[in-house]
Amino acid sequence: MRRWALRLLGLLACLAVAAPARAQAPPVAPPSLAAELSVSRIEVTTAFTGGEILVFGATERLIGAQGDEVVVQASGPSTSMVVRQKVQMLGLWVNGPAARFNRVPSYWALATTRPLTELLDGVERADLRLGLELMPLVQLGARGAQFRSALAGLKQEAGLWVDQARPIAVSGGRLFHARLPLPATVATGPYQVQVMLVRDGRVVARQELRLDVVRSGTAAWIADVARFQPVLYGLACIVLAALAGWLGSVLFRRG
Amino acid sequence: MQVYLPIAEMSVDALLLLGIGFTVGWLSGLFGIGGGFLLTPVLILIGIPAPVAVGSGANQTLGASVSGLIAQWRRGNVDLRMGAVLLAGGFIGSLLGVQLFAWLRRAGQVDLAVAFFYVVVLGTVGALMVRESVSAILRRRRARPRRLHEHLWMHGLPFKMRFRKSRLYISVIPPLAIGFGIGLLSAVMGVGGGFMLVPAMIYLLGMPTAVVIGTSLFQVVFVTANVTFLQAIQVGSVDIVLTLLLLAGGVIGAQFGAAMGTRLRGEETRVLLGALVLAVALALLWDLLQVPGQLFVIGPAP
Repeated sequence: MRRWALRLLGLLACLAVAAPARAQAPPVAPPSLAAELSVSRIEVTTAFTGGEILVFGATERLIGAQGDEVVVQASGPSTSMVVRQKVQMLGLWVNGPAARFNRVPSYWALATTRPLTELLDGVERADLRLGLELMPLVQLGARGAQFRSALAGLKQEAGLWVDQARPIAVSGGRLFHARLPLPATVATGPYQVQVMLVRDGRVVARQELRLDVVRSGTAAWIADVARFQPVLYGLACIVLAALAGWLGSVLFRRG
Repeated sequence: MQVYLPIAEMSVDALLLLGIGFTVGWLSGLFGIGGGFLLTPVLILIGIPAPVAVGSGANQTLGASVSGLIAQWRRGNVDLRMGAVLLAGGFIGSLLGVQLFAWLRRAGQVDLAVAFFYVVVLGTVGALMVRESVSAILRRRRARPRRLHEHLWMHGLPFKMRFRKSRLYISVIPPLAIGFGIGLLSAVMGVGGGFMLVPAMIYLLGMPTAVVIGTSLFQVVFVTANVTFLQAIQVGSVDIVLTLLLLAGGVIGAQFGAAMGTRLRGEETRVLLGALVLAVALALLWDLLQVPGQLFVIGPAP
């Protein structure tokens, strides 16, 4: 909290310095948008229960109906997903037709200062792919729109796709901050955060920020050993379980 | 207290896992079984992915059975020769079982297959156990002397072998086949298979009850070790953090269960165990039959 507050102060100072600079001879255009992340690295340890991406910054003009608006969009590393429909077969519910989606963002979140439909028109939104329904997804295998909507529904239920959960908070007219929730199940890898400045229904400035979600500590070590040294890991699991079982029965023997 | 499981890639309440471990351990101590057949479905129920539940379930059963094996070994209740024959079948069975599991996973039918296996196997075994033990209790009431064991047609197959400790002279084909079947199920269901092995040894092989528990633990420990190893290298779904948390609760629960188990008679224990097995089968069958809350499931593409 304190760290990002300090950085925010620094950012404000930059903007304050930039403002009088406009009057002098070589006109340096003031940044119309300045944004930062509170952390550039989120560590997933064995005690990780979820977190958040905190984006903060300031705009040149006042944020509001007549001035600037801010859109923050974050997306995580993409994966391939399979959506399976359950069908009834001989009275049992089994996994039936399946559709495959390639390059699905494992995490996707959008936050805006005002409802997006009031900021940008449909064409602009489609161009920028702002919106869950505008995400470019290619469906392979089974056909039908129900697979895509099921994917979106289940991802949202898991908290991995967040569509304008909370509006961006504005303070002092020009300062904004957005908190994008990260559930405990987030994938590790690089995350992109785009901060866009909207003026008169158009995006006039844009800033790309990067965030890394990494496993760290014991959790990272175990996952690495399991992936890169599976033989060693398998043997270790056998020995550890046997030792734990034996030790436990010695320690807790009754009578 | 939340803990992040590195292989399952999710956070779970550690106290919940300890509680599940304790309860399953208590039941397994009571009935003298590994408890994997209860553990794996419960893990799936709390949201652990089926492959991780199966892989870690087998790993946990290994840990839970080791101390039992040591105790039975000291008392001389392990028929090593019978154990070796069962194990030979078990190794081949679990090897094939893990291949089947990996194939099911690619086909996206793991959850269904695991549930279906549970319903069929537990339903059959549970029903047989209840029937057998009820009739055993009735027989005891009538006080009819029971023969040492029934001679079945399969005991007369070729490759006969003498199992001194079990007081048997039978073909090696039935124990090999039983070991194979248990190994296969162990790999797909994440169980040790004690709940199937014990009745199979009593009713199919005709082994004396004294050596049944020790010999089945012998097979269970080594087959689950094999399954753990193969699941770890082929599917990559053994979560050691999950295993150790379950074991921590399990070993404590097992001591309480074992203390209580000594006060129950053999047939009564078997009726209770059979009823428990049947109950798990019915609960899983109900899940397969009722309209699912979510008509779609998503998962990573293979």
